Order: sequence, then structure tokens, then C-alpha cells
Amino acid sequence: MTRREAALILGLRESATPDKVKEAHRKVMVANHPDAGGSDYLASKVNEAKDVMLGKTKGSNSAF
Amino acid sequence: FQAGRIIANLIVVGSGVLVRAFAQAYRQALQNASKNGVAREAVENMKKVSKAMSESEARQILGVSENASWEEIIKKYDSLFENNAKNGSFYLQSKVFRAKECLESTVRKDGEKVMS
Repeated sequence: MTRREAALILGLRESATPDKVKEAHRKVMVANHPDAGGSDYLASKVNEAKDVMLGKTKGSNSAF
Repeated sequence: FQAGRIIANLIVVGSGVLVRAFAQAYRQALQNASKNGVAREAVENMKKVSKAMSESEARQILGVSENASWEEIIKKYDSLFENNAKNGSFYLQSKVFRAKECLESTVRKDGEKVMS
């Protein structure tokens, strides 16, 4: 997942601060939580997006 | 004093340069924005990706099995689309839409799966 795709998934700019990333992640997870009718697949993408934006993982494969 | 005149000249010329530089930067920023707006990028990405979205990926996105009925698919789609419209990103909302669109042609094509 590229940073660009991660930012798109969370509805953020690529330059978003960690605080904004965490805030956006919480909000987008509300929409996609598996326990609330979301799909596991999307939930895992949202989590991955957060990790990429926070610089925790590096990946160059496409998000989808 | 000469110095006074020189300084005055510098200020006039300097501010002229600054104003021009700013105007140019602003124009460039406007161009960039129209070319590279995030929303437009999301749409472009959608166009690229939708050609490549496979049925299995569409099912994963909506969280439906291979045997899911169209009714089930629509139910998942409705809730995911609405939830992402409220709290998610435009990008994810588009993915959900494209997933439904992808399955629409697949499920409807296969006579056995069509709902009566």
C-alpha cells in the first residue's frame, strides 16, 4: 500500500499529522467495523492505511 | 544620503519581485489544484482500478460469499455505502460502489443466481 493510497483510504492529505491519522482511523473504522456490518477486508485495509500513514510499515503493492 | 536612496530603490524593486513571484506561485498552485485535486485523483484511481477489480475482490470488499444471493449483496452494499458516506472516505465509498457494480454484471449474468 502506498502512502497515497493510505491517505485516500483515510480521507487525509499525505502530510497529515499522526493525531489526524489516528482521528481519521477511528472515524473510518466506525464505518467499516466488522462487528457493525463492515467487511473484514475493508477493516484490514483501513488498519493497514493507518500503519502506513504512521510510518509503521512500508509497502509498495497496490492497496486493492 | 546615497544610502537612503539605495535602500528605497531596493525596497521598491524587491517588493515588485516578491509580488510577481507570489502571483506566479499562486497561478501554479491553481493549476496544480485543478490537475491534482484529491477528489479527482480518487476518481482517476477508480477508473483505473475498476477495470481490474475481480469478482473475488468485489466479494471481499462487500464481505459476501460466493453463494451470496443478490439480496444479501445489496444489503451489505447499502449498509457499507451509507456508513462510509457518513464516516468513511470518498475513496472507500467508491470501492464499495464499484464492488457492487462488478458483482451486478456477474451475478445477473449467471442464470442460476438471478433472483426471481
